[in-house]
Amino acid sequence: MLARVVTGLYLAYLAAPIALLALGSFGDLWLNTLLPTGATLRWYEEVARDPSFRRAFVSSLGVAAATCAVCLAAGLPLAYAVYRSPSARVRALARALYQLPVALPALVLAFGFILVFSSDALPWLGSVWLLVGGHVVLGLPYFLQAVVADMQRLGLRELEQAAESLGAGATQRFFHVIVPSLRHSILSGLIVVAALSIGEFQFSNLVAGFLNRTYPVVLLQAFYGATGFACAATVVLLALALTASLAGALSARQAAGVPVSA
Amino acid sequence: MSGRAPVSAAVEVRGLTFRYPGSGAGVIDVSMTIEPGELVVCIGPSGCGKTTLLKLIAGFLAPQSGRVLLGGEDVTAAGARTRGCGVVFQAYALFPHMKVWQNVAYPLRVRGASPADQRRRAGEMLERVGLAEFAERLPARLSGGQQQRVALARALAFEPRALLLDEPLSALDAATRVAMRDEIRRIQKLHGIASLLITHDQDEALSLADRVLVLRDGRLVQFDTPHAIYDRPADAFVANFVGRANVLRGVAAGPERVDLACGALRVPAHGRADGVPLELLVRPERLEAVAGPGEPNVFAVRVLRDRFLGATRQLEVLADGDTLLKFETTSREPVSHVRIPVDAIQRLPHDPGAPA
Repeated sequence: MLARVVTGLYLAYLAAPIALLALGSFGDLWLNTLLPTGATLRWYEEVARDPSFRRAFVSSLGVAAATCAVCLAAGLPLAYAVYRSPSARVRALARALYQLPVALPALVLAFGFILVFSSDALPWLGSVWLLVGGHVVLGLPYFLQAVVADMQRLGLRELEQAAESLGAGATQRFFHVIVPSLRHSILSGLIVVAALSIGEFQFSNLVAGFLNRTYPVVLLQAFYGATGFACAATVVLLALALTASLAGALSARQAAGVPVSA
Repeated sequence: MSGRAPVSAAVEVRGLTFRYPGSGAGVIDVSMTIEPGELVVCIGPSGCGKTTLLKLIAGFLAPQSGRVLLGGEDVTAAGARTRGCGVVFQAYALFPHMKVWQNVAYPLRVRGASPADQRRRAGEMLERVGLAEFAERLPARLSGGQQQRVALARALAFEPRALLLDEPLSALDAATRVAMRDEIRRIQKLHGIASLLITHDQDEALSLADRVLVLRDGRLVQFDTPHAIYDRPADAFVANFVGRANVLRGVAAGPERVDLACGALRVPAHGRADGVPLELLVRPERLEAVAGPGEPNVFAVRVLRDRFLGATRQLEVLADGDTLLKFETTSREPVSHVRIPVDAIQRLPHDPGAPA
């Protein structure tokens, strides 16, 4: 009973700001009242027309996609190396190392990047690739976590040995066994990475160049303008991130053993 | 990869040694053969190297010395892919994203068989293990026993040169295990394939095997038929590990007499000089309960434990000198004296390092 009340209160606490934002984005006027008055879609139209928001939206999608691509290309071999390492000490060390960024404030990472990449030797501050690089550092731990755990759960090594004894070569094992049996964790890992990249503010705000600012960075500016506009812009971000995590949750559920209907 | 006439042993290992780096565990100087159609069961306590032996034959590990021959051909340098051994894993290792029939057809798929051939062959194999109606399911939708039968069908679908089973029954519940044991034997006979089955279960070993291979600390202790292993164990370790055993330690005191802590025992001629320590084996079911003293080899005992198992009773009784005897009988009478028949006693090759 108590647990239910607490859960209910917590959910309300969680949902109230989001509900208000959504309400505000459709409200015509919202000054000193508790709730906005009037109903309109013009804030969304304005966000859609605003060139800096349009650019930021595209930037965000591009950075998220590139971050996912790098995480996949680097993360899958890395996860495999960690999983296959014969030494328990090496495995533990690797895990501690790749999970370090989780504990690391993005702000610290950003200062580090600024120090290193504003030098004359590496003058890359403001480039979109540096932004992607930072997002990879922040997102990769989650990807590795998901994929390594799945490898252990599946007993990937035995699956590979089975395939090998049945006559499959390395390429066949990779495409017939490794990738398909890990597909759910790869997908859910990438979706977490995408959601993280889309919502990331601290690091992006400091490191992004003026022309490749991501959506959350631009969003901050909106709060100096009309409330309705700021609300609508936030809801757009929320929808993006929510789509990503919802898809992630669904694929995680499938990975947990609920089979895909053929 | 082609099937060849079985001119020599289907599987032969010679002086095979593999030690895991950083530990002494592994397999040390093991030599053995599996004849065509024969089922060899490898048994030993955990960590004795039995799974390592299987991995060395399958090609998952490369030995530090020794050779592996399949059908007379030296495959020591070949990887698992080209050895053509069908392997059944303890945890089944079915591909979770493939339907049952696709799992069974996988070895044919990598060999470039046509989709129609794959389906037909998978259907035949599933028919043989009684799972034809589950062809379209995913492995996760089957019970453990069913999954293991799929794994068996998959391992045999490409006419392998040998079948290797790594503790195939240990993940199953007790009831399924016995049924699956018979099933494995039936399918193995049907295919007439040389097979190696790893287990730590002595019932499994004795009831399934044509020959039993006992490993201890990586070394081959005994390799013989189940009857020979049970009736003439090589040492106290084998005697205790395969079946229940009384291993009695004493000192020779005459050509047909050994002095034990509980008294003098008349034994078959042992051929040892007086004063030489001996180890004797008596199986618990060979002991007899008697009414009282008078005959030779009768000892007064105190019952420590008495377990009623329905058809039989398993007792532990204590004779003089803290001599613990395991005793199995169908009688329900109280026990005060036991007799050790002379023909039930055999001398073990003395091994001072063996646990008592």
